[in-house]
Amino acid sequence: MDNIASHENWKNCFSEIGPGLLLFARQWTRSAADAEDIVQEAFVKFWRRNYKINNRALLYATVRSIALDFIRRDKRRARREATVFAEADPSVEPQFEWEDEAQSALAAAVNCLPHDQREVIVLKIWNELTFSEIADALGISQNTAASRYRYALANLKKSLQPQ
Amino acid sequence: MNDFSELENDLRALRPARPSPVLFERIQEAMAENRKASVSDAKPMASWLRRFTETSYRFGIGLAAAAAAVLLLLARINTDPTRNEDKEIAQVSPPVETGPVRPAFSGRNGVDGSISSNKFISAGATQVVYNSRDEGLQFADSSRQPLRRLRYQTQQTWQWRNPSTGASLRVSYPSEEVVLIPVSGQ
Repeated sequence: MDNIASHENWKNCFSEIGPGLLLFARQWTRSAADAEDIVQEAFVKFWRRNYKINNRALLYATVRSIALDFIRRDKRRARREATVFAEADPSVEPQFEWEDEAQSALAAAVNCLPHDQREVIVLKIWNELTFSEIADALGISQNTAASRYRYALANLKKSLQPQ
Repeated sequence: MNDFSELENDLRALRPARPSPVLFERIQEAMAENRKASVSDAKPMASWLRRFTETSYRFGIGLAAAAAAVLLLLARINTDPTRNEDKEIAQVSPPVETGPVRPAFSGRNGVDGSISSNKFISAGATQVVYNSRDEGLQFADSSRQPLRRLRYQTQQTWQWRNPSTGASLRVSYPSEEVVLIPVSGQ
């Protein structure tokens, strides 16, 4: 898995990282179809430019950049997304495959996290990036990435506690 | 971080939704298109080399265009077929003291109310002599002394600037000037 371009079986590579990429992209779209468009564009762009697959920070930065461009391209879409974010029920389409009520509650709690905390926890938990890679991908310091991660976990723990 | 280890395990147990099979097909098609494009190149270049050559190519085109524009400009100035042996073909005079230029229209409040903001000051004057012709010696009616008659064809440009608004006014026009120079006897 040195290089996507020379990697004959790119499907295996994508099967491994695809769900995490899609989850990361859905932070900006909340629509699976739009998120898949973003992931496709980012993955193919990354592949075409012959980047090293080990440079995961760059891959996720590419997804993020394309997602932001995607929103900017259509302001009406952005307004619609903002309306969706503002509404009480953010989980328009399921982003996780849960098996029981506890997992469903956990997924809902993740969706309700502040955006900056959510993107760090998505990269850390489901994409297995290091804090250094997260910092590179998001353009923040490692300390900021680590503190956002801790805040996210604290918020999740607090929201999952019985009232 | 131990406080959150159980929560982290719960989060890892939660699986993200899988991409649709259609996405695999779409990526496969895009990959195939890109592969065709790359195979069509006889000798694929490394990405850094490709980027470098593309940048150099664009820079070269830009540089060549700029050089061509400068050459055209110089050629336009220097290749006048009717020019004589005059060395000095252009002169730039210092800014001329002129009064404020009032605009043709003065707005709703009239000229007096807007004179301060509409004041233009002289920013320079240029006189380019693009042709001069020696028309030989002549004798004027009232003079017995010969005169050399020189005809200059010039392009004069006057510029004014409004310091308060940053607006500028430029007037350019061709002119012809005939000069009679007395020739002293040997």
